[in-house]
Amino acid sequence: MDHIKLTRNKIDINLIQQLTIDKSCGACSIFVGATRDSFEGKKVISLEYEAYENMALKEMGKICSELRVQWPDVKHIAIYHRLGNVPVTEESIVIAVSAPHRKAALESVSFAIDKLKSSVPIWKKEIYENDLIGEWKANMECPWPPFSETSSRTFEFSSCKIEHQIDNISDNKLVQIKVNDSELNRRVKCFLKRKRDEINLYNIIDFRQQTTDPALLESIVGKDSCARTQSFLVKQQQSKGHLKVCRATYNSGPQVRPNYSFQLNKLMTRQNDQYEAAKCKVLRNARLQNIEDYMHITPDDDDNIYNRIKNIENRILMLESTSPEYKYNIKFETDLKNIGKRNSKKEIYLSDRLNEFILDIKRQYEQ
Amino acid sequence: MNMEGSSLLVNINVLFFAKSRELAKTSRAEFTVESVIKAGNLLNQLIDSFNLNTISNNLIIAHNENYIENLDTEIHLHKGDEIAVIPPISGG
Repeated sequence: MDHIKLTRNKIDINLIQQLTIDKSCGACSIFVGATRDSFEGKKVISLEYEAYENMALKEMGKICSELRVQWPDVKHIAIYHRLGNVPVTEESIVIAVSAPHRKAALESVSFAIDKLKSSVPIWKKEIYENDLIGEWKANMECPWPPFSETSSRTFEFSSCKIEHQIDNISDNKLVQIKVNDSELNRRVKCFLKRKRDEINLYNIIDFRQQTTDPALLESIVGKDSCARTQSFLVKQQQSKGHLKVCRATYNSGPQVRPNYSFQLNKLMTRQNDQYEAAKCKVLRNARLQNIEDYMHITPDDDDNIYNRIKNIENRILMLESTSPEYKYNIKFETDLKNIGKRNSKKEIYLSDRLNEFILDIKRQYEQ
Repeated sequence: MNMEGSSLLVNINVLFFAKSRELAKTSRAEFTVESVIKAGNLLNQLIDSFNLNTISNNLIIAHNENYIENLDTEIHLHKGDEIAVIPPISGG
């Protein structure tokens, strides 16, 4: 019988073994896959499994059928996979197969877990101690290309199989490296990092002038270059090895400073003085215009400021002769003082005269 | 090219899992597409519509719970069919 289940609870191994017990069977092989607490030196604090549940069950059913075709003796099969949050060290997968003899049981269990890893749509996310976003994993057995970020970390042994091993190296140009997987991965990683740095270096050099002296290059790149491109290279799907840059970020340079565009615009303004002068002119015109509006003068010559002031003076003189109190309401003395230094003498003279004149009139009026 | 097939549009359900679910920001969506379409073409449309560019080379699709092994395969879609976007699996 086939027992297939996806469960969110802890898997009871004893229960699974009991499912496979049969009077005719002298062997029961159980594979238990558990969650590890570390990945490449990073501490895994929790794991999350998710599945395309209907399809996963279907694919697990297919595995059972294949097992029965290859090992017709197989009696019972149980495949339990855990979903949801799985604490570190707990079982994520249990496969049990019973058969009359151990060979079929052992071999079929091994086949089943390999097949499951390459065909059942279940995904695992590892969440690390210092990186709570986590990372979706990809099985080595997965038949389609895994994430590039994963493949850059681990060497894909399947992509270049070692056909034959050389025991005695006669050619002294060849070296055989005999290390374990993690050491080899570390070396591959270091190599990739060095190549990455090299590409970055050449990006900077390309950006600058053509220099070939390596000592000079060092000094240029170290401090003075403004090129700081961090390019990400990806292999195009159907390309024969050419790389295309898919993204480039510029992490430093003037453009990252605050108010960069404002500062740039300010620098790009052609003549600062002209701008200040124009601003001053606008301000002065506005004040003059206010006075003109107030006094109902329509300026006949906008550009000639002296003519306009002269008109105002005339109007004041006219007002003086008709309604002198008006003068106190509009306070010409201070306003006209600010219009222009060149006129200040005239204004003061004018205002003083006005004051005296008005006071005289007042006195006379009171008497 | 089959003109009759390409002009017919159908509504299908699209499922997203794992990283593709996070990028698409949904686990399920409705999608309108030609009823007869190459798997690769459908996948590209899904990649463009659901922000999956960063993992575009790592995806395959399943049609009604069956993997489409070859992206050149022509699929015949019916209303309500289920297409799942499958990133690299990591069960076990």
